[in-house]
Amino acid sequence: MAITILPPVVEDVAPYHSDSDSSMSGADSDSDVEMSGVSRPNKKPRTGNGKISSGIVTPGEIVTADPKWMRGHGTYMNPLSTSIIATVAGKVQQTNKLLSVHPLRARYIPEIGDLVVGRIVEVQSKRWKVDVAAPLLAQLPLSAINLPGGILRRRTSADELQIRTFFSEGDLVVAEVQSVHQDGSASLHTRSLKYGKLRNGVFLAVTGTGGSGASSSSVKGGVGPGSGSGSSAAAASSGTGEESFDHGDKYGHILPPMVVHADGAEAASSTTENVSITRMEEMVSSSIYSSQNDDVPPQTRREIARLTQCVRVLVQGGVRVDEDTLTDSYEASLQVDLEVGDDDEEEEYGQEGREYLEGAKARRILELTMQRK
Amino acid sequence: MSNQRQASSASQTPHLSPAELSYLYTSLSLPKSPIRPDGRSPTQFRPLTAESNILPGTNGSARIGFADGTQAIVGVKAEVEKTVLSTDTLASSEVGEGEDSTSTSAAASGHGSWVQMSIEIPGFRDDDALPVFLSEMMRESLVGSVADGGGDGDGDVTMAGGLKGRLVINKRWHWRLYIDVLLLSQPLSYPLPLLSLTTHLALLSTKLPKLKSQGEEDPFFDDDWEVAEYLYPRSSNLKAAGNASQHVRPPVTLLVISVGENVIFDPSREEIAFLPSPLLRDTEAGNLKLLSIRTVDPPSRLTQPAVPNSENVNMLGATAPTEDIAVLNPATGEEEVPGVWRPRRGGVKRSVIANMIKTVLKKGGVGEEVLEGLEGVEVE
Repeated sequence: MAITILPPVVEDVAPYHSDSDSSMSGADSDSDVEMSGVSRPNKKPRTGNGKISSGIVTPGEIVTADPKWMRGHGTYMNPLSTSIIATVAGKVQQTNKLLSVHPLRARYIPEIGDLVVGRIVEVQSKRWKVDVAAPLLAQLPLSAINLPGGILRRRTSADELQIRTFFSEGDLVVAEVQSVHQDGSASLHTRSLKYGKLRNGVFLAVTGTGGSGASSSSVKGGVGPGSGSGSSAAAASSGTGEESFDHGDKYGHILPPMVVHADGAEAASSTTENVSITRMEEMVSSSIYSSQNDDVPPQTRREIARLTQCVRVLVQGGVRVDEDTLTDSYEASLQVDLEVGDDDEEEEYGQEGREYLEGAKARRILELTMQRK
Repeated sequence: MSNQRQASSASQTPHLSPAELSYLYTSLSLPKSPIRPDGRSPTQFRPLTAESNILPGTNGSARIGFADGTQAIVGVKAEVEKTVLSTDTLASSEVGEGEDSTSTSAAASGHGSWVQMSIEIPGFRDDDALPVFLSEMMRESLVGSVADGGGDGDGDVTMAGGLKGRLVINKRWHWRLYIDVLLLSQPLSYPLPLLSLTTHLALLSTKLPKLKSQGEEDPFFDDDWEVAEYLYPRSSNLKAAGNASQHVRPPVTLLVISVGENVIFDPSREEIAFLPSPLLRDTEAGNLKLLSIRTVDPPSRLTQPAVPNSENVNMLGATAPTEDIAVLNPATGEEEVPGVWRPRRGGVKRSVIANMIKTVLKKGGVGEEVLEGLEGVEVE
């Protein structure tokens, strides 16, 4: 079947009644309101009844009219009234007396030390402009990269002339935020073996909420356990990149080798190779600026394709994408494949499009993933 | 400049790095079983949700959405209009337009300008290259199917002359069709297939009020919407006449890409972004007919070619010279190093195009499935 046409999904329009105030009143609770597909803002007009609107608020909606609350991020207060009004669409969060609205979708706000994956959009004479999905382009100065061979010296005009041999437009770069300027734009550096160009894979950008809430995320930095190995390995097998984690952490790239390992099918041998400090020069020179792909066997390519689909399924299901959920969904997808394989009623369709996970299989994968949590 | 080029070829497709392009190219060009980044088989389309007759104020409308959130709405509105002088007494010179020299026949067989199409894509102005190009391309295939439809359309009388002919009420009056296409989301990939499928569906559901007047009278219609007739006669009516496969359906434009020897349908965002020579084609059913093939400039040309490790000044001495350089094209001296992206030169091979056409047109092929799938959408 070449094409599947589904009937339109009728959205459940029943208003979502959360267990509103009970969950919100716990002292110092950093409560997140569950976001399921059917949640709807509670549209009752709240006029001075002191309640906090829970669930999802939309810009302009009154969060509360009770003067005892303080307004936090994502809210606005009219000077003539005491009611707190949401300025973004998102979940209401309460920290003691502070009410803030955590946006459902926001741009990434760079913070010092973040590991980011960005795409070079502009090459200037002494620096690159990098798109890291922040409100402003980040800059990567020529002086903030490692020279090939690990040589330490001043950057000369010769380096400026051949700036494109390091990174040129379109390249994907892993870098670290070195400093954040007054206007919120970031300055990056790639002075580590872990950083450099990404290759041997596909890149997947995911929307989510950047910034705020990062503290509670356990995956700060966002790099999976593969990152200890040489940069070639890190870049080499990055099947997917740039997860802007729903919970703050932004932009990291998840390395599939660990997942592939879990599967046991094939182990990317390069991941286990550790680089000693004495071999630094060679490693720097041989991998950071390469734009040639290594030989990736078809099995690995299939696994990478499967992983990217898992990410898409998670995103479309509104599930936060991080290492755990991704691993879970990957395993779930294998399980679903087995389940489907058992049926094999339709032989000819069994092969065709068997690897496509979105659509019918997506729901099952999500179910299984959520069970594992 | 580069922005403009990008806008006209494929909107908003990301610049991909040479490494990504190379990876995708190798994956997709694997002989026999290309690996698509989303795991689909080469002829598999993304699942879509479709519904029709969603706008009460229109003669016909449809909505199609993909799972990634891109969706389009199309509304078709018909108006009665007086046919601009088509009598023999007024010579074409007086009208001044060369096209109208055929105005006598236009009264009988319709005129292409009676179909008006406008496409709205967020982030683009009305007069930007992309919407204008797309709407003209779709309109052309709609009215263009007439020209050759006249010949073998004799099987069913209602659609003789195709869509243009259908719009003729009598010598002095005709229908004017306004097709408004609205893309509701950012164009994540080349929007044409989505817009075309939606337009197809909307046209299928379009109804025109039943004509009560006869001959050359001023047109007068039946108030009862129940008895209105479909613009494109439905298969159920025709089945009664024992002529099921012959009815005319609006054309559909499919986006097909060729990578190496492989032919891939409904490319996703990444795929299209890099693809060497995407091909557009219009099919029209009756007996599935290929209306035209068109090529689109692949956005991959915007990415600079990669430098192989052996030539990379930043990697001097780090790698052994690669032995496995294969000369791809002796004429140009183009060398192919595995894993290094080089924009493809030259066109598509004949055999690949033939294969493409075969895949679409063959009995039970992609074209048939798509059209039947769309027809299966509840139009009531």
